[in-house]
Amino acid sequence: MMSPIIVVERLYRKFTLGVESITVLEDIDLTIDRGECIVLKGISGSGKTTLLSIMAGLDKPTEGNVIIDSESIAKLPDLHISKFRAKKIGMIFQHFNLLEHLSVWDNVLVPLVPMGIDMDRAREMIESSLALANISHKSDTLASRLSGGEKQRVAIARALVSNPEIILCDEPTANLDLGNSVKFIEILQKLHSLGKTIVVATHDPLFDNLPFESRVIPMANGKIETDI
Amino acid sequence: MNQLLMNNQVMIYLLMEVIVSVMLLIALYWAIKMLISWDFGSFSTAQYRLEKRSYLVSTILLFSFVVKFFLLIYFVFTIDSISILIPGAMCAAGVVSANDYGMQLLLTKLLILFFMLLWMSINSYDMRAKNYPLFRFKQVIFLIIFMMVAIEGYLDIEYFTHIDIRQPVSCCSTLYGQLEGSNPLPFGLDIRNLMILFYMIYTLLMVTLWYKYRIVTIVLAVLFIFISYYGVVYLFGTYVYRLPTHKCPFCMMQREYYFIGYLIWGTLFIGSYQAIISSFINLYTKSDILYNERRAMVLLSIFVAVCSSYVALYYLQNGVFL
Repeated sequence: MMSPIIVVERLYRKFTLGVESITVLEDIDLTIDRGECIVLKGISGSGKTTLLSIMAGLDKPTEGNVIIDSESIAKLPDLHISKFRAKKIGMIFQHFNLLEHLSVWDNVLVPLVPMGIDMDRAREMIESSLALANISHKSDTLASRLSGGEKQRVAIARALVSNPEIILCDEPTANLDLGNSVKFIEILQKLHSLGKTIVVATHDPLFDNLPFESRVIPMANGKIETDI
Repeated sequence: MNQLLMNNQVMIYLLMEVIVSVMLLIALYWAIKMLISWDFGSFSTAQYRLEKRSYLVSTILLFSFVVKFFLLIYFVFTIDSISILIPGAMCAAGVVSANDYGMQLLLTKLLILFFMLLWMSINSYDMRAKNYPLFRFKQVIFLIIFMMVAIEGYLDIEYFTHIDIRQPVSCCSTLYGQLEGSNPLPFGLDIRNLMILFYMIYTLLMVTLWYKYRIVTIVLAVLFIFISYYGVVYLFGTYVYRLPTHKCPFCMMQREYYFIGYLIWGTLFIGSYQAIISSFINLYTKSDILYNERRAMVLLSIFVAVCSSYVALYYLQNGVFL
């Protein structure tokens, strides 16, 4: 029996705009087992990205709890959540969020800097994650000179460099053409075969019925519609 | 109205105290609310709101305490500078003794400084921990500080409104010379034994800080403040003034002595307080906040080095002691 790695309990997220309170997530309960590949599906504004951000510790809930690998992260202070995220979670963003003036190598190095890893070990880790994302041949190129597909692969390498157990992807194919989207899914399959837990928030139909995905969870108006 | 209240420095000082007090009052409102409703185990909206608010309150308090620290220095500077307005006063010693409230006010300020440093150390530990382990303790310390600040405010008003600028006061030369013939030093010590005790406690304090004998450190640090006060006033100060009869804790804060008093008293009080507080917190939390103990060691060593250097320099220049 697989053990849960992500547990979301009675989660609410509300934003205040003047006197108006907007509920973005409402009463979310979700359990994801180790090694699962989950797709959160929904239109823009359904709350996928907010849910992913709270799972990554980038945002805090208004109510409820998030437990990652048996540790409650909803209330961890910034200092601790940063260390926790660096160790446990790799995040891939829709707009890649690369540092454009740095080379591919340096972009992938960035998450290792706060971890205080020595340079020889860092070199090994970077080489291995660049190889896994099929972007080793561009390691000296500036991020600003890469195509969309290449940028996405650098973002994957950066997410994988610290060998996290969980990979969270926010609309990973929204800025990619069909060919690059398919390549991205192939990399995802490779990561799944390595035992990583993957959560993808997307509205891309390419993610429907993937052979390796465990569940598709539809979201609308901040709620999980049905957890299949 | 007392003419002294129209003095620029007194006005600035009192105005700043009022501003800081208003900030503390806002923080007090939230601190009480947090003390009543705080439940870290809860994942309710109200608890999340309190946790966010606690960051704001800590920031307000940290800012207010830093301002109050500089206000303490400014207070000493102010009473020293108004000594020219009061007949008989040559430095802050005369102004402090202008009425009964002066010394009470100064001691209250030193006590507030101690609790502020205690709060800052607890806050620093609490913010670095995962689950606010000292949150309630920190708020209780703040309540104590607030009560003392209220007393301080009362003493501030009473002190400045009761200084009569036509009434002559005793300055340091008579204040500290009035016991001529009797021994003003504690435990019947003479200067030689006072110095032996001074350097012995300092050495022991360094050893206990280094090896983390925490209860002994607290006792020694309290003793060191006491002995050092007499050491500075009755020996080291006379080398600062280069006059064996000039025994004053305040004159050394004046420009003619290069404001060295601020460094001497500052390093003594903050260093000793740090030693007490870090040992106390480490005992209480069973943790190890090394940097606070190291900081205490550095500050106390600076204090001893500065004091000793005045004696050594005088001896090197003149070939005799005072």
